[in-house]
Amino acid sequence: MQGLLSLARGIDKISKAFSLIAIWFVLLASLLSAINAFVRYGLNAFIGLGKTYPGLAKGLDGIARAYSDNSNGFLEAQWYMFAGMVLFGAAWTLKVNEHVRVDLVFGAVSERTRTWIDLLGGIFFLVPFCVLMVAITYPWFYDAWRINEGSTNAGGLVRWPVKLILPVGFGLLLLQAISEIIKCVAALTSNYVREYAYEKPLQ
Amino acid sequence: MMDVIKNNMAPIMFVGLIFFMLIGYPAAFSLAAVGMIFGYAAISMGLFQPDFFGNMTYQLYSIISNDLLLAIPFFTLMGAILERCGLAEDLLEGFGQLFGSVRGGLSYAVIIVGAVLGAITGTVAASVIAMGVISLPVMLKYGYSVRHTTGVIAASGTITQLVPPSLVLVVLADVMGKSVGDMYKGAIGPSIIQIALFILYVFFLSIFKPKEVPALPPEARVLRGAPLLWKCAKGMIPSLVLIFLVLGTIFMGLATPTEAGAMGVVGAFALAAINRRLTWDLTWQGMDSTMRLTAMVAFILIGARVFSLVFQGVGGGHWIEGMLTNLPGGQMGFLIVVNIFVFVLAFFLDFFEIAFIVIPLLVPVATKLNIDLIWLGVLLCANIQTSFMHPPFGFALFYLRGIAPPSIKSTDIYMGAIPWLFLQIALVCILIVWPESVTYWLDKGTVMNQQQVDDALKNIIIPGMGSPGVPGGFGLPGLDPPPIKIQ
Repeated sequence: MQGLLSLARGIDKISKAFSLIAIWFVLLASLLSAINAFVRYGLNAFIGLGKTYPGLAKGLDGIARAYSDNSNGFLEAQWYMFAGMVLFGAAWTLKVNEHVRVDLVFGAVSERTRTWIDLLGGIFFLVPFCVLMVAITYPWFYDAWRINEGSTNAGGLVRWPVKLILPVGFGLLLLQAISEIIKCVAALTSNYVREYAYEKPLQ
Repeated sequence: MMDVIKNNMAPIMFVGLIFFMLIGYPAAFSLAAVGMIFGYAAISMGLFQPDFFGNMTYQLYSIISNDLLLAIPFFTLMGAILERCGLAEDLLEGFGQLFGSVRGGLSYAVIIVGAVLGAITGTVAASVIAMGVISLPVMLKYGYSVRHTTGVIAASGTITQLVPPSLVLVVLADVMGKSVGDMYKGAIGPSIIQIALFILYVFFLSIFKPKEVPALPPEARVLRGAPLLWKCAKGMIPSLVLIFLVLGTIFMGLATPTEAGAMGVVGAFALAAINRRLTWDLTWQGMDSTMRLTAMVAFILIGARVFSLVFQGVGGGHWIEGMLTNLPGGQMGFLIVVNIFVFVLAFFLDFFEIAFIVIPLLVPVATKLNIDLIWLGVLLCANIQTSFMHPPFGFALFYLRGIAPPSIKSTDIYMGAIPWLFLQIALVCILIVWPESVTYWLDKGTVMNQQQVDDALKNIIIPGMGSPGVPGGFGLPGLDPPPIKIQ
C-alpha cells in the first residue's frame, strides 16, 4: 500500500505541475485578448486617419501590416490557452475535489460511504471515460500531426498542438483518477485520511 | 423485452441520468458515464454505428474553440480582482453616508452598490463578499436587524446575475444560439424592475417595521458637503469607466463579450493598482481559483455533450418535444411548467448544469411554440437567480456565511433570504405576464421592401476586395461592416 500511495503522490505532483501551466494561461489569455481588442481598434483608427492623412498612414503601415498578417494567430492563441486551462487544470481540480457534485445524498452520508462512492465512481465512471476520450482524441491528434494540418484562417496557427492538449489532458485526468482510487482504497483499508474531504456548501 | 427497451431508450436514459446524478459523484463525470453506458447499449442493439463516439471529437473541438466560453475565465478573474480592489468600499461608504439620514438608508446603499457592481462584473461572489465584508459590520452596529442585513446583502449580490454583463447571460446566449448583445439588451428592463422591487420593499419596511432599518444617528454621518461628494465620486468615476470599458464596448459593437471581459480584467488590475491593493498574492489567488472554476465548468459541458450526443441519438429530443408541446395552454402552459421545473431543479443542480443539460432540451420546443428565445433566456436567468438564495447551491448565502462573524447564526442567514426570494419569484411572474419588459430594449430589426433590398444588394462592397480610398491597403478584411445603404 505504501508503494501505491507514493505512486499517488507522484501523480499529484505531475498534476500540480500542469496546473501551474493552466493557471498562467488564465493571465496570459486575458492580457493577450485585451491587447488583441485594443490593437484592433487602434488599427481601425489608423485606417480612419490614413484616409485623411495618407502620409501618416505610410509610416504606420509596417506595424499595421505585421500585426494584421498575424492577427488570426493571436486570436487562435487565446483559445489554445483556453484549452490548456481546461485540460491541464482538470486533473488538479479533481485532486482538490472541486468538480461540483449533486450533494442531495452525498452530503447526508458518512465519510466512509463517500469514500466508497468516490472509489466506485472513479473505477466505473471516470476511468472508462478518460480511456475512451484518449482513445478517440489520440488518432485525431496524430492525423493533424502527420499532415501538419494548418489553420483555416490566414496567418493562423498549426493545429496539432491544440489537438495534442486533448489526449494529454484526458491522460492526466486518467492518472489523477488512479491516484484518487488508490487514496480511496487506502482510506478504506487503513487509517489513511483523505486530504481534501468534501465540504458541504452549507450547514 | 428487447423491443420495449429499444423503443423507450430515451425515457430510460433520462431516469438513468437522474439516478447517476443523485449518487453524488462529480456531475461532469456522471453525465459522461450515463452517455457512455447508454451509447454502448445503443451500439450493441444496433441503434448506432460502432464508431458513434468518434463524433465526440467534433464536440470537444467545438467546446475548446468556442470564443464565448473564454468569457468565463475573463469575467471570473475580473471579479476576483475587483472583490478586493477597494472599489466596493468607496462606493458603500459614499452611498451609505449619502442615504444614511433616511430610514433604510444603508439598505438602499447596498442595493444601489449591488447594481453598480453588477453592471461592472459578471460574477456573484465578487459582489457578495465585497459588500458583506464592508457593510455587514456597519449595518449591525447601527441597529439593522440581523436577518434584514444578511438578506439585503445576499440579494443585492445576486443582482449581478441578471444585470449585464452577466456571465449567466453569456452562457445562456451560447446555449440558445442567440447573440450575447441581444441577451444583454433584453436583461436591461428586468434588471431595472428587480432593483425597483428591492428598493420598494425596503421603503415599505421603513414604514411598517422602522425598527429593523433605522436611520444613522447624526454622529455616524461624518461626511458632509464636498468631502461626501468626493467620496461618492471616487467610487462612481472608476465604476463608470469600467462599465464603459466592458458594457459600453459590447453595446456599441466595438468588442465581443470575450474581449470586453479581457479589457475588464485589465481595468480591474489598473484600479487595484491605483488603490495600492495590487499584490502578487491577490493576482495569483485570482488566477488559481479562476482556473479551477473554468476547468470545472468546461468539464460539465464536456460531460453534458457526451450525454446529449447519445440522448439525441436515441430520440430524446423528440420525446421531450412530444411531452412539452402537448401541454395544455400552449405557450403559457409551457412557460409555467418550464419555470416550475427549472425552479425545482435549481435545488439540485447548479447553474451551469441546468444551462448545459436542461436548456438545450427546451430550446427546440420553445422555437416550435413561437416563443422569443431572448425573452425565455432572460426569464430563465431571473428564475435561476433564485437558486443563489436557497440551499444547497445558495452560493450567495454560502459566501456570506464565509465572511459573517460566528455570532450570526446560519438560520438567520436562511430566514433573512426568504423575503428576497419571494421578490425574485415576483420578478419571474412579472416577466411572464409582461414580455415587453424584455423585448422593449431589443432592436426591432429593419423592415425593407423589395426595392430597398435590391438597392442594398447593388451597393454592397465586399470588404478586403480592395476597399477604395485606403492607401497601402492594410485594412483587416472583414472588420469593417459592409456599407449597406438603405433608403
